[in-house]
Amino acid sequence: MNEIRRKAAGSAVWLAALLLVPPTAAPAGQGSRTVIDSLGRTVAVPARAERILSLQPELSRILVALGAGERLVGVDYFLRRFDHVIPLVFPKAFELPLVSRVGEDVNLELVLKLNPDIIFVSPSEAWLADSLQRKVPAPVAAFSSLGRFESLFQEMDLIGNLIGRRDRAAELVHFARAELRAIGNRLVGLDPGGRPRVYLAFYSSLLRTNTSYEPVTASGGLNVAGTILPFALGTKEAAVNIEQILSWDPDLILIQGNFLPAERAVTVESVLGDIRLRSLRAARDRRVAYTFGFWYWWDPAQVLLETRYLARLFYPRLFADFDFEAEGNRLYRAFYGADGVFSSISKTLKCEEWILD
Amino acid sequence: MTKRTGFWTLLAVLLPFLILVLSLAIGSYRIPPKELVHTVAGLISPSRHPDLAPAFKDILLHIRLPRLLLALMIGASLSLSGASLQALFKNPLVNEYILGISSGAGFGAALSLVLAGRGFPPQVAAFGFALLAVAAVLAIAGRSESSVVPILLTGVVVAAFFQALLALVVYFASPYALQTLFFWLMGNLALATWRDVVLAGPVMLAGSACLFLLRWRLNVLSMSETEARSLGVHVRREKILVILAATLASAAATSVAGIIGWVGLIGPHLVRMAVGADNRKVIPLAASCGACFLLLADDAARMIMSFEIPVGIFTSILGIPVFVYLLAKTKKVWL
Amino acid sequence: MSIRVRRLAFDYKDFGLRVAAIGFETSRLTAVVGPNGAGKTTFLKCLGSLLPIPAGAVLIDDRDLVRFKSRERARRIAFVPQEHGSIFNYAVLDFVLLGRAAHLGVLATPSAEDERAARTALDYVGLRAFAARPISQLSSGERRLALIARSLAQETDILLMDEPTTFLDMRHEVEILDLIHKLSREAGKTIVCTLHSLDLALKYADAMVFMKDGAVLAAGPPGTVLSEALLETVYGIPIRIRTVDGRIVLLR
Repeated sequence: MNEIRRKAAGSAVWLAALLLVPPTAAPAGQGSRTVIDSLGRTVAVPARAERILSLQPELSRILVALGAGERLVGVDYFLRRFDHVIPLVFPKAFELPLVSRVGEDVNLELVLKLNPDIIFVSPSEAWLADSLQRKVPAPVAAFSSLGRFESLFQEMDLIGNLIGRRDRAAELVHFARAELRAIGNRLVGLDPGGRPRVYLAFYSSLLRTNTSYEPVTASGGLNVAGTILPFALGTKEAAVNIEQILSWDPDLILIQGNFLPAERAVTVESVLGDIRLRSLRAARDRRVAYTFGFWYWWDPAQVLLETRYLARLFYPRLFADFDFEAEGNRLYRAFYGADGVFSSISKTLKCEEWILD
Repeated sequence: MTKRTGFWTLLAVLLPFLILVLSLAIGSYRIPPKELVHTVAGLISPSRHPDLAPAFKDILLHIRLPRLLLALMIGASLSLSGASLQALFKNPLVNEYILGISSGAGFGAALSLVLAGRGFPPQVAAFGFALLAVAAVLAIAGRSESSVVPILLTGVVVAAFFQALLALVVYFASPYALQTLFFWLMGNLALATWRDVVLAGPVMLAGSACLFLLRWRLNVLSMSETEARSLGVHVRREKILVILAATLASAAATSVAGIIGWVGLIGPHLVRMAVGADNRKVIPLAASCGACFLLLADDAARMIMSFEIPVGIFTSILGIPVFVYLLAKTKKVWL
Repeated sequence: MSIRVRRLAFDYKDFGLRVAAIGFETSRLTAVVGPNGAGKTTFLKCLGSLLPIPAGAVLIDDRDLVRFKSRERARRIAFVPQEHGSIFNYAVLDFVLLGRAAHLGVLATPSAEDERAARTALDYVGLRAFAARPISQLSSGERRLALIARSLAQETDILLMDEPTTFLDMRHEVEILDLIHKLSREAGKTIVCTLHSLDLALKYADAMVFMKDGAVLAAGPPGTVLSEALLETVYGIPIRIRTVDGRIVLLR
């Protein structure tokens, strides 16, 4: 067993190295590697990092999941105020200094004072990474999964390497892949034409959607918006015409629910009560539900839970054994090592109302 | 009025409505022409056409019609506002946003979304704060009897003030609460509902009607301050009246559809190039031109793709070449 | 009908206008003359309440001008500026029509009667053929006539004109002043105009008001107002007064 695991870990690292290092890149300096970040920038990443400044909640969560939360030297605004999982699994994060604010406005003096070995930022503000890199000595890398599982796994490998927890990272990646496989296995043999057609109403608007969202595909659904734009790498946001939604006449409408109910501009009630949508099958059959959705950063435990939850929504009989709270707690425990994390989150997001039938 | 002007007047009034009716045929959801006519007839006299496809009916009545009506009213209001303010400020490059209503509206909407949440339509606060911005401008600079320059400068300052306040709100608010704001601020008619028509329509109508009544007075007000005064006009009072009417119309339009540029500039210019500067003609024709213009821009936006692209992009794409062509053809600017 | 000025004071930066007491003859042409910077235009504007004036400073028929409402004032006094200040290119008739503003409510548009008044004014100044032409296409002389026509459309008994002859050639100077003189004689209007040309003032004016540095030095019939001593003091150069062909001329 151990040998297989070690071999799996080894090949994972090998795979990660192949994917991350461009064929013609020359290694830059003692003990550092070159990686290509989500913006296509070439960054010289140190072999080891003790002090990590992560202004990207996705990467911060991965760090905590890998048990290296103490290496964080500072947090960003979103993590401090809006993150649901960090307060539960790594409350020490709130003693860390606040380094960046809304609009990725970074406190440079603080960054220099904290002297991190590496800085992670979000690629949502394309200029930030370069601008920051010009002013600080540490390497700045912009990473985001952008809604792709593979990218998420690569990030986990990268961080695992960075902090010397390759094994733990490989373990989690393996676990995640196994989860996805398990779901996929139950879907084997289903008629691809019979996949539920789903419309995603994300970003607090009925008209804003994602043209590709992997949890939907991985759970056996079909994103109707995927037909209007060529598939782009990662999740692509688009605003559609309301008539387009009527044209598609999806089987199911999913509303982004990854934030407090009071802040949701689009709710199940508002969709069901919208007079313009009443001719939709989904409205008539009341097939409108919440899902977590993607804003700018994923939580690895949550995205696996979401995939399972969506599978349950799409195929109630195939996944009749799905216990939302138990599964949630299980997944969060696997990543963060704490119990009852999802029960707490579920209360905040009112997930008990989500399952349709 | 000669028979000829009577004909042109009728055309000007009817043309926007004609375009509106034809635009009912445009949209992502394909409705075959026969069905379209059938549905329209059914909407007009339901007893004679009892079996209408509900989808068609809802699309025409609840999606397209309110959006088109709004486009018509907003296009007319913005164009009227622009034309009036251009006369008042004696500057053909002035647009309806110059007194800070766009910044005021943006801030109002943001504040409403943060404090009152999704339950309360942000349009009301947007409208309120747009008015407040203009009121501030008038309070600070409206006393000036001798020149309109202080008003313009104060408009710039007040706009900057509300921009700063907006930045502050964005700073402290939950990013989720404000998502709707940015979509709306970009300026589009995608979210148009009957509620918008009912709330904003009467206000736009009131402001526009007032400007229509003032159309000849604008000729007088477009003279220098001394001249206007010598002609018997109470300059300060009438200046404020025009500004208020223009603000009512354009603030209501902005609160519903966000910031749509170029309509208040292109409409009046095209009309002046065609019929001269007399505001008795410019004002009503600008309303008609603005309405047609925005309807056509929105039609283009809806025809070309199934995405929603901010209609402001189309007003630029359509308007600028037309403007340049006319400029080259007549070899004169607005005079 | 009388115009009287009493203790008029107006200050602007470092310039002060002070006129103690003066009256203007009804249905006559009074020329306000003096060197540059004397305050002639300022005085004229004060007479029309186009600049803030103290209460009781200008009395029309013994009523304080400051108390007149805008419309009422515009039905009594018309002001003809040197140039009109608008960038919009109105047709001449529409331009003249603006003079009817004093007779219309804020929300009103001109009626057929107003249009007739405008056309009559155009006829009077001889611009009938130009009615449909855009005003920018007029020469400065014609534009000046259009301005006068506008003030005629106002149907007032008092006309204040600021430098009606600037930038005009000799022929047009004479034409304009002939017209102005006709207005005072035939139409009975009381006209006060500023003139920088003393020669023209001497020819046409029934009365002259001589100003310098914001004060009135002398006022009355041209013959009595002018003296060589006064002219030399005011203008700083020797000027001789002679009579040629029955007309007063100035030699300098």
